[in-house]
Amino acid sequence: MAHTQHIYTKPGETLFGFLMVILSGFLFWKAYSISGFESLSSPGALPLAATALMVITSCVSCIQNLRLPTEVQGHFFKEILPPVVAVMIAVIFLFAVVLNTLGFILTALAFLFLTIKFLHRSGTIRTLLLSAMILVLVYVVFRLVFKVVLPEGIIPEREIMAVIVDLFNSGAN
Amino acid sequence: MLEALQYFSMAWVSPQLLALVALGTFLGIYVGAIPGLSVTMAVSILISFTFSWDINNALCLMVGVYMGGVYGGSRTAILLNIPGAPSAIATALDGFPMAQKGEAGRAIGLSTVMSVVGGFIGIFILAVAAPSISEFALTFQPRDYMMLGVMGIMLVGSLSGESLTKGIFAGALGILIGTVGLDPLTAEERFTFGAVELWNGINPVAVMIGMFGLSEALMQLHHLDKVALKQKLDRIIPAWADVRKYLPLGTQSSILGTIIGALPGTGGDIAALMAYDYARRTTKNPKVPFGEGAKEGLIAPESANNAAVGGAYIPMLTLGIPGDAVTAVFIGALFIHGLNPGPMLLTERPEMFWFTVGNLTLANIFVLIFGLTGIKLFSRIVECPKGILIPLIFVLSIVGAYAINNSVADIWWMLGFGVLGYFMKLYGYQVGPVILGVILSRLVDDNWRRAIISERGDIGEFFVNLFSSPLSVVLFSVVILILISQFPIWKVMLKKRRSDASRDA
Repeated sequence: MAHTQHIYTKPGETLFGFLMVILSGFLFWKAYSISGFESLSSPGALPLAATALMVITSCVSCIQNLRLPTEVQGHFFKEILPPVVAVMIAVIFLFAVVLNTLGFILTALAFLFLTIKFLHRSGTIRTLLLSAMILVLVYVVFRLVFKVVLPEGIIPEREIMAVIVDLFNSGAN
Repeated sequence: MLEALQYFSMAWVSPQLLALVALGTFLGIYVGAIPGLSVTMAVSILISFTFSWDINNALCLMVGVYMGGVYGGSRTAILLNIPGAPSAIATALDGFPMAQKGEAGRAIGLSTVMSVVGGFIGIFILAVAAPSISEFALTFQPRDYMMLGVMGIMLVGSLSGESLTKGIFAGALGILIGTVGLDPLTAEERFTFGAVELWNGINPVAVMIGMFGLSEALMQLHHLDKVALKQKLDRIIPAWADVRKYLPLGTQSSILGTIIGALPGTGGDIAALMAYDYARRTTKNPKVPFGEGAKEGLIAPESANNAAVGGAYIPMLTLGIPGDAVTAVFIGALFIHGLNPGPMLLTERPEMFWFTVGNLTLANIFVLIFGLTGIKLFSRIVECPKGILIPLIFVLSIVGAYAINNSVADIWWMLGFGVLGYFMKLYGYQVGPVILGVILSRLVDDNWRRAIISERGDIGEFFVNLFSSPLSVVLFSVVILILISQFPIWKVMLKKRRSDASRDA
C-alpha cells in the first residue's frame, strides 16, 4: 500500500488535482445549501466541515503539485490509462447496461469469455470451458447457496430449475 | 456455578448442536471470505429459514456463522487485497504485502491463531465482566461517542501513505459520502440532487467493493505479464516462537477490541482499525515497516476484530443494545424466538447467557480447526494466472455489488468508486481513509449534533460539561494526544526550516 514520494508530475496529475478542487468547491456549495451556517447542530454542519476540509486539502495538494518540476514523465495513455484498463472499464460498464435485459448467465458468460480471451489469450475451447466453470461456481455459490436473486433476463431460469427439481422428484418416486 | 457450567457445555455434549456450530463456522468463514457477502446478510438469511427451528439449534448455527465470518474476511484480504468483510480492512494493509512476498501461508496461519486468541479473550471478558462493562457503557454521553468517532477518524494519519494532505482529503470525502441521503435526525435531504434513489444514501459496501476490489484489479492490469507469485503454504501452523513473541501485542489488541466491540455502534471494523493504529504507535523498530508486511500490523487487527465479537455480546445480552449490525440482527432473532434480550435476560434466563458463551467458545475452536486447514485449495485461486483471476474478481465485484439490494444502481456506484479509486491510487491518494470516513461519518454526525442539541446549541456549555465528566475528560485528552502525535505540525515546521537551511548553505 505504501508508495514512495514521487518527485515529478505524473501525466494528468495537474488536471486531476484541478478536478478535485472543482468537485470540492461544488460539493461545498451543495453542503452550504443544506442549511447554511444556521447552527452547529444543523443537518449541514458535518457536510460543511467535511467539504471545507476537502476544499483546503485539494487546493494545498494542487499547489504542492504545481511546485514540482513541470516536465511530465511518461504518457497518459501508457502510464495512467493504458488501453487494457480503458477497455476493461468499458466492458464492465457494458456488463451493467445489459445485465437486466440479457440476464446474469448470458452476460457473465460473455463477459468471462471475452475478458479471459483478451487477457489470458488461450485457445477458444479452453477459454469457453474455463468461463463456463467459473460461471457455474459463481452461480452455485451466489444463486443457489445464498439465494442472491440475479437478473434472469431472457433465459427462463426458474422454469428450468423447476423442471430439474421435478425430474429429481420423479426419479426419487 | 455448576449450573452455569452445565449450560455452558450444552452444545459441547450434544452431537447435533456440535455439528451445527461446526457447520455455521465453516459457512461463516467462506461467507466472510467472499467479498460482497456479508455476515449480516448471511445471518439475516439464516433467520428467515431457522425461525421454525428450535431456538438452541438456530442460535448454534448463527453464532458459528458470526464467529467464522469475522475471521473469514482476513483470507481474501491477505490473498487478494480485497477485505471480504469490513472488519478485515486493516488486515489487508500488511497481510497483502506479506502475500506479495510469497508469505501468504505464514500470514494466514498467524492471523488464524491470533484471531482465535482474540476470540477467547473477548469471550472471557464477556463471561467475567458483562454486567459491569455494560453499566459503564450506559453512562456514555453523545459527546463521548462523538469523541470515539473522532478518534477513529484520526487514524487517517496512519493510513495516508505518501501525503497527509491527500489522506485528509480522502477521509473528508469518505465522511461526505457517509452523509448522503436523508438526514436521520431531521429527514432533510443531503446531497441527493433531488433523486429519491439517493434517500437511503450510498451503500458503504458498494463503495468498499469499488475502492478495494475493482480499483485493485484495474491496477493489476498494469502488471499482467508478471507471473503470479508461488505462495509458500508449507508452513501454515505458525512457529511457537512467533506466537509467543506476538502474544503480548495480541492480548493488548484483544482487550482493546473487546472494549470497542462492547460499545454500541462500534464493531469489529473500528476495533481492527484502532488496534492497527495502536500497534503502529507502540511498536518500536518493527522488523518490516508497517504497510509493507509487518506481522504486528496483521496480528493487532486480527485479534481485535475477533475479540470484538465477545465484546459485542455484552450490551446485546445485558442491555438489548446491538454492538454492531450483526448483533442487531441477532437481537431480532432472539425476539422471534420469544426471548427478551435486555437487563432481565440474565436474571430470567441465565441458561441462555451461558449457552451463548459456550457456543462462542466452541465456534472459536472450530475457527482454529477450519482456519488452519483447506488453505491450500483456497490459495490455488491466487496462484492461477492473472488473465483468469482478474475477470473472476470483476464478476465477484459486480455480483457482490448487485447482491446488496438486488439493484443495478449499486453496480454503478461500485464502478464509479472503482474508477475514482483507481485514479486516486495512481496519483498518490490512499483509499483506506475514504472507507474510514464512510464508516465513521454517521457515528460522529449523530452524536455531535445530539451533544450540541442537549446543550441547547451552547458550545461553551458543551465544554463546561465535558470538563466536568471524568470519562469525557479522559476521552478528550486521548483525542488531543493522538492529534499531537499524528499531525506533528512542529515536526513539519522543523523539517521545513532544515531544508531551507540546507538550501541556503
